[in-house]
Amino acid sequence: MYSKEIIVSNPTGLHARPASSLVSKANSYESDITLQRVGEDDVYTVKSIIMLLALGLGQGEKAILAADGPDEEAAVNELAEFIAGLTE
Amino acid sequence: MILNGKSISRQIAIEEVLVYKTFSYERSIRKYEDEDTAEMQKQYNRTKELALKELNALEARLKQRGSDHADFVQAHREILCDIVMDKEIVKLISEKKLYPDSAITETYDKYIGVFSKNKNKLIQERAADLRDVLTRLLRCWHGVPEKTLSSLERPCIIVAEELLPTDTLSLDEKNIKGIITEKGGLTSHTAIIARSLDIPALLGVADVLEYVNDKERIILDGINGKVIISPTEEEIEEYQKQILKVEKEREITRQYMQKESVTKEGTKIDLRVNIASADIHHKEQIPYIDGVGLFRSEFLYLTQDEMPSEEYQFQAYKTVLQVFDEKPVVLRTLDIGGDKHVEYMKLPTEENPFLGNRGVRLCLANRDLFRSQIRAALRASAYGILEIMFPMVTSVNEFREAKELVMEVGKELDSENIEWDHDVMIGIMIETPAIALIADLIVDEIDFASVGTNDLTQYLCAADRMNADVKAYYQDYHPAIFRCLASLAETFQKAGKCLSICGELAGDPLAIPVLVGIGIRTLSQSLTSIAHSKQIIRNIDMEQAKELAVEVQQMKSDKDVLKCLKIFAENLSD
Repeated sequence: MYSKEIIVSNPTGLHARPASSLVSKANSYESDITLQRVGEDDVYTVKSIIMLLALGLGQGEKAILAADGPDEEAAVNELAEFIAGLTE
Repeated sequence: MILNGKSISRQIAIEEVLVYKTFSYERSIRKYEDEDTAEMQKQYNRTKELALKELNALEARLKQRGSDHADFVQAHREILCDIVMDKEIVKLISEKKLYPDSAITETYDKYIGVFSKNKNKLIQERAADLRDVLTRLLRCWHGVPEKTLSSLERPCIIVAEELLPTDTLSLDEKNIKGIITEKGGLTSHTAIIARSLDIPALLGVADVLEYVNDKERIILDGINGKVIISPTEEEIEEYQKQILKVEKEREITRQYMQKESVTKEGTKIDLRVNIASADIHHKEQIPYIDGVGLFRSEFLYLTQDEMPSEEYQFQAYKTVLQVFDEKPVVLRTLDIGGDKHVEYMKLPTEENPFLGNRGVRLCLANRDLFRSQIRAALRASAYGILEIMFPMVTSVNEFREAKELVMEVGKELDSENIEWDHDVMIGIMIETPAIALIADLIVDEIDFASVGTNDLTQYLCAADRMNADVKAYYQDYHPAIFRCLASLAETFQKAGKCLSICGELAGDPLAIPVLVGIGIRTLSQSLTSIAHSKQIIRNIDMEQAKELAVEVQQMKSDKDVLKCLKIFAENLSD
């Protein structure tokens, strides 16, 4: 298990196009990958658009990005970088 | 077998039938008892695969046509393949013993509920995508093939009860060769669409859906207003010869496009077009038309899932004004209500929508909405010649109120240093008998007016133009219409103001001579009828047209008027 705290900085947050891209990227890793809003108990899989939308992270929100599996480190680092680089 | 209907153009089509019905289902959650769970899972997987195949094919067709609407397909595919929903559906089938369609419905409904309650608007909107995918899955499960008019596999004649504005937002123009509907008349939405596509259409063909089958070849004979179901080989051959003949005649007519629109002795009749957007094939034709007589701005609202922003409208209006450059563009402000619904506005259902809160009434009751449209329009006025026209006016006060709002918005723009045309002309539609009867009292305050003959006819005849049962009472050639138009023409002539006609009557080959005789000098119609109108106008002798106008106003029935107009048309020599 490997994890990192991320902050959503793009205006539309993690829905619409950014969410779609995140889901398809997440699905290219073998590990289970999850997001958890800081201060909340519910954990959502990043490999499902439905879950990501249900989580609905908006601009300025913090969350824990975690992965568990053979490529966990790469998954967390690369996806965190992707989220940080969103501008839309 | 032969069925009859009202034809909108003298064209013929021989094609396969596409029966257009939207899929509907009853929501039910059922458990299975005797069936095997593995078989149920298989059924679910097959349904999913079928839906996926449809989406892939749809995407390929949209991309091939260069459509920019292909993005939603990707979003729908992601939902369809979502691993979490997939797991839940599989679990409901195996553990709760739900039929696949019930398991799908239950799972999708759950997330539709979650999304609809979300505070974020962007997520709320995604519930609509879930609903679309759910309908697709259930339809596939029921084995019902997809029905859409936006991308068809081959040329066809569409047969439907009626086409609504939402069905026709994106049409596969290349493959739709004709339309047949059970309901609707010559002024219905279907008729307007068929005219703009320049294809034959037969309307009000009673029970046609009971007699035709999908994919069978039929003949749509727009010349004689009939549809031939299960035609013989001889009939098909005969009609193929006729198609060639009709094409030749239309070619002759097309040659009139580039000629000037003047009567025999040289009176110029301005011919303008009715549009919903800046269509690409308008561009080459612009030198031969006198501007836009009716820009139906409501299509901007009907094609969106939410209220179009001021900026979005501004860009759309600006594009149209720039395309038409030096020619005037008459923008009709938002005209919804009546037969045009906008779902996201959540307007209450009315008992008599045609007599309800529509047109300028609705705008005056929703000032923010009206204001944003006027702001967009005035900002766009800096880029061409814009004229603003309010629909459904019944009194002088409504016009004053609406105009005052325009002036307020103008001042606002001035204070923000935003450019706009301070000489923008402001006028009204004449569609209600009330304003027609007091035209002399409002003519000095308005810059121009345009008669919407479709609505005016329905209000004068007290016959709902959407109601097939009173079709016989909705009379395009009721003598009252011509009396009303004659009196309006006189009033506007005296005042030296422009009076145009923008209803279907303006492009009706039979009506044009009498309209010219009455004194109308501006006619606005669909682009496809302009060439034919020029052909007619160039053969009109003004003295004869004036006599015709007097004669028609003394006739006692629409049938007499029609007979008289037909005789006149036959005597127009080429």
